[in-house]
Amino acid sequence: MKKLDELLERRSVSRRKFLAGIGVSAGVAAAGIAGCSSGNSMTNNMTNNTTNSGGGGGTSSSITDADIFNFALNLEYLEAEFYLRAAYGMGLSSSDIGANPGNVTGGSQVNFQSSAVKAYALEIANDEQAHVQFLRKQLGSAAVDRPAIDFTNAFNAAASAAGIGSTFDPFSSDDNFLLGAFVFEDVGVTAYHGAATLLSSSANLAAAAGILGTEAYHAGEIRTLIAQIGGSVLTAATQIQALRASAGGGAETTLSSTTIVNADSSSISYDRTTDQVLHIVYLSPSAGVVSKGGFFPNGLNGTISATAS
Amino acid sequence: MENIDQIDQKELMQALEEKRASRRKAMLLGGAALAGMALTRSAFAQTITDADILNFALNLEFLEAQYYTLATTGTTIDVAAGISTKGGDGSAGGSVTVKANPKVNFTDTFTQDFAMEVAMDEQNHVKFLQTNLSTSAVAMPNIDLMNSFNALAQAAGLGSSFDPFASQTNFLLGAFIFEDVGVTAYQGAAPAISSKTYLDKAVGIHNVEAYHAASIRTRIFQAGTSAMQASQMIAMTRAKLDGSNNDDMGVSVDSSGAATIVDADATARTYARTTSQVLSIVYGGGAAGKGGAFFPNALNGTIK
Repeated sequence: MKKLDELLERRSVSRRKFLAGIGVSAGVAAAGIAGCSSGNSMTNNMTNNTTNSGGGGGTSSSITDADIFNFALNLEYLEAEFYLRAAYGMGLSSSDIGANPGNVTGGSQVNFQSSAVKAYALEIANDEQAHVQFLRKQLGSAAVDRPAIDFTNAFNAAASAAGIGSTFDPFSSDDNFLLGAFVFEDVGVTAYHGAATLLSSSANLAAAAGILGTEAYHAGEIRTLIAQIGGSVLTAATQIQALRASAGGGAETTLSSTTIVNADSSSISYDRTTDQVLHIVYLSPSAGVVSKGGFFPNGLNGTISATAS
Repeated sequence: MENIDQIDQKELMQALEEKRASRRKAMLLGGAALAGMALTRSAFAQTITDADILNFALNLEFLEAQYYTLATTGTTIDVAAGISTKGGDGSAGGSVTVKANPKVNFTDTFTQDFAMEVAMDEQNHVKFLQTNLSTSAVAMPNIDLMNSFNALAQAAGLGSSFDPFASQTNFLLGAFIFEDVGVTAYQGAAPAISSKTYLDKAVGIHNVEAYHAASIRTRIFQAGTSAMQASQMIAMTRAKLDGSNNDDMGVSVDSSGAATIVDADATARTYARTTSQVLSIVYGGGAAGKGGAFFPNALNGTIK
């Protein structure tokens, strides 16, 4: 990981000028779908929708729409468990996590001091739960179970890597909750954006676009709230961004009151390859093959779970 | 508009209850929207090109860019940012009808900064579309940012007139009118785009409009009850104008205590609108091809 100051310096030039360098252009989004050992025999109607990923070094270059939806489902499990635990004190119900779900480590109800922040948390929790339910329904029997998820160690490791401190508990205060949310939200937007053009069915694209829209609303909301708070909270957010940029191929516009939107110099949102998203959620900034770690101690479930590089 | 507090509260609360129920409990609207989109797509497949869709978007971006640029600088995009309003073939750009001195007197820099950011984003979208459409780019159509808001205020029951440039809160409500619609317009059009490159860009612009929409809705939430109620009445008016009566939601706190910052359906997915639905909203119910409200002489291009 590059020195924080160095990364922030690049960011601070703002998205209006910055972009080249570590910014990843849309054109390469299709490359880098990795680790696709397409051994599953999926039984629903998504199975036949395949896309040639254009390389990436995996064992197969052919992924299905179901593979992509399952990739998204893993991320939605992560977000839903985070927000539901923070807002309600309990995670997804047993009917929403599959027959053999992984365990969730950490996460507890936030003692919200602001009724507004609580209202925001409740809404996003409801939304992410709905996304899990929607994707599971679309995937039918092909839906993967919830993978093992770790909040306790992952947030500590992320905070340490970002230079925020040796530990970080996003469930301990309103501000920390917003920062915890910030870790995920822009990433979800870049992940869905990158995946959108890989989907072969326009019906699936339409379905995904609606989830993507909602993730972008969440991201815009969280960024607005953190920029408004400012001070050390805003600084921590920019440190998280530097970590994400380092692990996920740039694709970050440093948050400030004048840069609420995370977008490139054409005011178009970034996208990330599945490899880049995996490097972020596995908290593994270094290049190389990685198949687990960070928020997913046993890796994602499904065919897209390991990076090619 | 000065009298938001005098809205018929009973009628409003009744309507609100229906809206709240619509998202968290009921329905199938997502499915309906998808079905509508599928129809649009097959219709598009016959005659509509990617350039037609991008030009449709360019018209909407002209509208947004002019609104935010006038609110933050008091001048139009050609003056403030050197952006040509001419078509790619050299045809003349239209006019903008707006009150004198529209620059908003922002009461806090946090909001002013954001208004300037959005102005630049929308200018960038205009430039991006113009560059990619090249000689096919349409000229800016006639745009009305004065009579349109008055008519919409009347339709929404907000009063006989509405000046979005009169105050910071009014500016946010004016912005609110556009942003969620932009999200639904791009979402509806995206699956009909045949080029993967343009699809990728359209999705990226869709996302930016959603960031804008969320930030504006969060600020309306913070502005308090009156602003939230106005947003609800505008949302209901949009849903009525597009013929669905059920695909829009203002800013509120629902019965579970959750905010409604996101404008989404029961599956927590943002809505998609067909081009016809979008036209009906920006025309204020005016006929296709003829226009009205924000585009008094219709859009330029094939889709109008």
